[in-house]
Amino acid sequence: MMLEEFSAWFVWIIPLIASLFVPVIGKYSEKARNYFVIAIAGIVGVLALSLVPSVWSGEGEAITYTIPWISGFVEAGVYIDSLSVLFTCLVAFFALIIAVYSQGYMKGEEGLTRYYYLLLLFIGSMIGLVISDNMLQMFIFWEMVGLCSYALISFWYKKPESIHSGVKVFIMTRIGDIMLLAAIAILFYMFGTFSFHGVIEGLQSGVFNTELMVITAFLVLGGAVAKSAQFPLFTWLYSAMEAPTSVSALLHAATMVKAGIYLLSRFILIFAAAPALIVALQPYWFPTISWIGVITAFIGATLGLMTTDIKGVLAYSTVSQIGFMMAGLGTAMAHTTDVAMSTGWFASLFHMVSHAFFEGLGFLLAGGIIHALGTRDMRLMGGLKKAMPLTFALMIIMIVTTSGLPPFAAFFSKGLILTSVMDAGSLIQTILIFAATAITFAYCIRMFSLVFMGKPSEHISKIHVHEAPKIMLVPAAILAALCIVWGIAQPYIASFMHIELEHTLLGAFTSAETPIFLLLLLPAFLLAYASYYKNFMGIRKIAAGKNPLTAILNHAYFIDDLYYGIAKGINGFSAALTRFENALFAHIPDKVGSDISDAAAPGHVMTLKKGPSDSFRNYVAAAVLGFILIMVLIVLTVGFGGI
Amino acid sequence: MSLPLLLSVFAIPTISIPFVYLAGKKSTKAAAGFVAAIALINIALLAMTIPAIQGADHFYKETYEWIPQLSGTEFALYVDGISVSIAMISLVLIFVAALYSVNYMAGKKNLPVYYALLCMLSVGLIGVFLTSNMILFYFCWELMLVPAYFIVGEWGYRNSYKSALKLFIFTHAGAVFVLLGIGATYWLTGTTDMLSAQGILATAANSEIAKWILIALTGGFAVKMAVFPVHMWLPDAHSEAPAPMSALLSGVIISAGAYAILRLSFGMVFPSVGLSFGTYFLYALSIIGVVTAFFGSLLSLVANDIKRVIAYSSIAHMGYTMFGLSLFPAALASGNPVALASPIALAIVGTVLHIITHAASKGLFFLTAGGVMHQTEKRDIREMGGLASKMPFSTVSGMIAALSIAGAPPLACFISEFFIFMGAFQIIQSPGGAFYIIPTALMLIATVFSLAYSLRFISKVFFGQFKEEQGAVQVAHDAHGSQSQPEAPVTESHGHRIVDIPNYMKAALAILVVLVVLIGIYPTFFVQLIQTVTFGAVA
Repeated sequence: MMLEEFSAWFVWIIPLIASLFVPVIGKYSEKARNYFVIAIAGIVGVLALSLVPSVWSGEGEAITYTIPWISGFVEAGVYIDSLSVLFTCLVAFFALIIAVYSQGYMKGEEGLTRYYYLLLLFIGSMIGLVISDNMLQMFIFWEMVGLCSYALISFWYKKPESIHSGVKVFIMTRIGDIMLLAAIAILFYMFGTFSFHGVIEGLQSGVFNTELMVITAFLVLGGAVAKSAQFPLFTWLYSAMEAPTSVSALLHAATMVKAGIYLLSRFILIFAAAPALIVALQPYWFPTISWIGVITAFIGATLGLMTTDIKGVLAYSTVSQIGFMMAGLGTAMAHTTDVAMSTGWFASLFHMVSHAFFEGLGFLLAGGIIHALGTRDMRLMGGLKKAMPLTFALMIIMIVTTSGLPPFAAFFSKGLILTSVMDAGSLIQTILIFAATAITFAYCIRMFSLVFMGKPSEHISKIHVHEAPKIMLVPAAILAALCIVWGIAQPYIASFMHIELEHTLLGAFTSAETPIFLLLLLPAFLLAYASYYKNFMGIRKIAAGKNPLTAILNHAYFIDDLYYGIAKGINGFSAALTRFENALFAHIPDKVGSDISDAAAPGHVMTLKKGPSDSFRNYVAAAVLGFILIMVLIVLTVGFGGI
Repeated sequence: MSLPLLLSVFAIPTISIPFVYLAGKKSTKAAAGFVAAIALINIALLAMTIPAIQGADHFYKETYEWIPQLSGTEFALYVDGISVSIAMISLVLIFVAALYSVNYMAGKKNLPVYYALLCMLSVGLIGVFLTSNMILFYFCWELMLVPAYFIVGEWGYRNSYKSALKLFIFTHAGAVFVLLGIGATYWLTGTTDMLSAQGILATAANSEIAKWILIALTGGFAVKMAVFPVHMWLPDAHSEAPAPMSALLSGVIISAGAYAILRLSFGMVFPSVGLSFGTYFLYALSIIGVVTAFFGSLLSLVANDIKRVIAYSSIAHMGYTMFGLSLFPAALASGNPVALASPIALAIVGTVLHIITHAASKGLFFLTAGGVMHQTEKRDIREMGGLASKMPFSTVSGMIAALSIAGAPPLACFISEFFIFMGAFQIIQSPGGAFYIIPTALMLIATVFSLAYSLRFISKVFFGQFKEEQGAVQVAHDAHGSQSQPEAPVTESHGHRIVDIPNYMKAALAILVVLVVLIGIYPTFFVQLIQTVTFGAVA
């Protein structure tokens, strides 16, 4: 067995199997359980890293290994290429970060065995999702990460909000899942296989129904939109913030919520096997992605301006940033049919990783603040600069990176996306996405001011605020360091992904979108500064007051209200249906039945129940005796001559 | 093969019935053990037929002389890949039910009779799957009903005899149509053997009568499946029955209807009805399936009785099964054999697999709910909540059951539904399949509803705050003395601490949990067996 084959299998099998041992170990020693989880996360990290060299040195060809699974239907397998290895490494790295961070953040919580069990189950499933060789396996893991997400959001299962949010998230993502399922079914019909290789070969042969493939592509997009919290299905991510913050960082910022990005980039790679198909997808499919992306980027950023929940800001920020990635993917093939030449495809994945770093950092720091203050409401914060200096310093890095200021990671990754969107040539999309970058800066400053600047609130003065413990700060510091250096890694990542990138590192400073971008940050900064430091024109008052604009933002564009309305309607319909059922299918037959039985033998049914059990025994004895007699007769008539 | 394997499967439980009763007189545990042991032996015996099924013939058959006067009616015992799989899962459920009953039924009256009836039920239930003779089939079909009636009636809750009577009358009425269909087939073909009847029907020119036979048989079996609009017996019977019986009823007895449709409607009559009638017949089935799935899911979404939630979900899942059956390749109607190993028949493989996975999952679901009722002595899910901290074992098994029912991977029901949907798209692309686009889309949407009611169940029963005060309220209400009902569950132990279910029940649930996860991850064993079957090949 080659090293990479071994690693590719065990990198997801080990955490899945290890998860079963967590309850066993947890019974004996909590400490051992915690170390066990960290050790497993470490092993996963090593295995993930061991996949890198062969992919890097390879020609960009995918390597697959398969074993028998459901005979005549599908084989289980792993699929190693730069895309899957990039995701695997990211998940493995974050798994380790969160496993360590949880030791501090979750300390003293009830039900930690369950927490760590689900954590390992999630790690295994998430890696399984990105490294699967076929669509059935991928879909199973796709659903399993949703399951883990549900269980972890409902971790505090006694809180009504947690339960409610868990159910909401699971059901909303299921809507995307059924679309993905339909897409898989169509592909299976067309190519007779679930494996990526099989589909690629089928596309290469050129014998496929283009219209059906376009429909399939849209169904895949539906799955990605729901999973990655994109417009119009983005509202679940805000609800998902009921999860412990460590979980939010891992699932709802760094990894699970990116599954949709993985799915789309994977399928763009597959579709690119047939250039004719890419051409067929260029008029509608790709623009739909980029429209969804820019709209979500804009909507998410505006919502980040209003929410008072510190995790809410980060959630909407995630929604918005994934919108950027979608915009990158949507414009990826605007001028080419070859993924290796595509800026957008690479930019999206590059930004995916930098987003994982800065948003993960944001969540880890927010976790420390929530841990210290016991609240998520930013109105109850303020002036934390002095009490939490380290958190403050790290948060500056997070803010700067999120806003995309040079020379940190997002400057390069977001810059590439902006270039790609501009190159694609839609003016409105370009305006929207630049507006989103400006608003991003504004909501960052707003959050920063509310939490760290100004006077401490009454809530804070009542409690003793302490800096986050080391075990929580060290993982955050590692992420902060990566935020700083990740951008410079761009050429190496491009060569790892086998992308021929026209844009050099220095080019990022001189390209056309950078001055526009930096110019736009100025008004955003001034506006945020003016409103939060000088209280210019009472913007804060307007934002707190009641007017159509705040109504729209406070209700998240009324999209959730629409969904709740639908859910209410279904419930109402079901209740009406129940009354109908009771009247027509329960009451009438009962009435007829009792009339008949009364006519036949008055009171028969009731006497049987109320009567002494002895009479019952006689009844049954008679029935059984009769039955045995019949059976004896059968056995006699059968005879054993035939044997 | 000269060992009387299938005859033993029949004979051992039959002969044992009085001994189970006698053992029960000494100790109820012994009776339960007896029933469980018989089930295990039968599983082993059935397993011994598998090599023959996987061999060249793809079936295993034993025939004995029986009623030669009735045109050579033989005691024909016949299993193929489909029947052996379903029979085995049924036996697993019998085994689990017996084990579970040790704790669950403890303290009830007349337990020796209960176990004897359970043993008798297993004869009828297994017999249905094991025969190729229509008379023997009908005999076993009715035989299931007698012990079911008594068990639901005597050991059930509330108006149990009324529910039992409903169960009996409805399914018996269905059976009358089945008898009509069987009689007509005999009159038309002069044989009571399903396999030879199929061959004769295919060559006979009486396809008009064959259509009526098809409708009568399918209609009769549909009553057993409790599809809309003949479902009304199910919610009462399943929710009033004692938990082990609910598990058997919902798990396998209603699915026996689906099996019978496959075996008799499709296996025997369908090849001779002609393509156009066959196609419309399948369309009708698919509409029934979709309506049933939505009807059951929506009612389950608002039901408040813990067992009614699950009972309605059974109706919904019979909708899935019916939809799966409707995806039968219509080519069979014009006499072309359909091998289940071919991709076009993927949905049928999925349907049979769904019968199996649903049996395990729904059995687990009902047994868990029974455990919750047993320990909390409540049945309204609005009064429950927070049981996760009190009953961790039941919570895990309940969640696995509910999520499997919701079709979440890697649990069992997901993989069967996946097969059905994959098959549906194969059918859509085949001639005349465009009709299925809308039903398939609707069934996909129905899975969202099944997730919704499953999550609602979990949230209401296991999550949330534990409502200790509820018992006090109940007692206080009773103290006013105005409306205390004798049938209402006893309220004595409300003040007591609620603990997890006892060990035998745990063991029973554990078996099904393992099975649900195992089939979900590795369904290959059953898939291979099912795929050996070919419909419409003239024997």
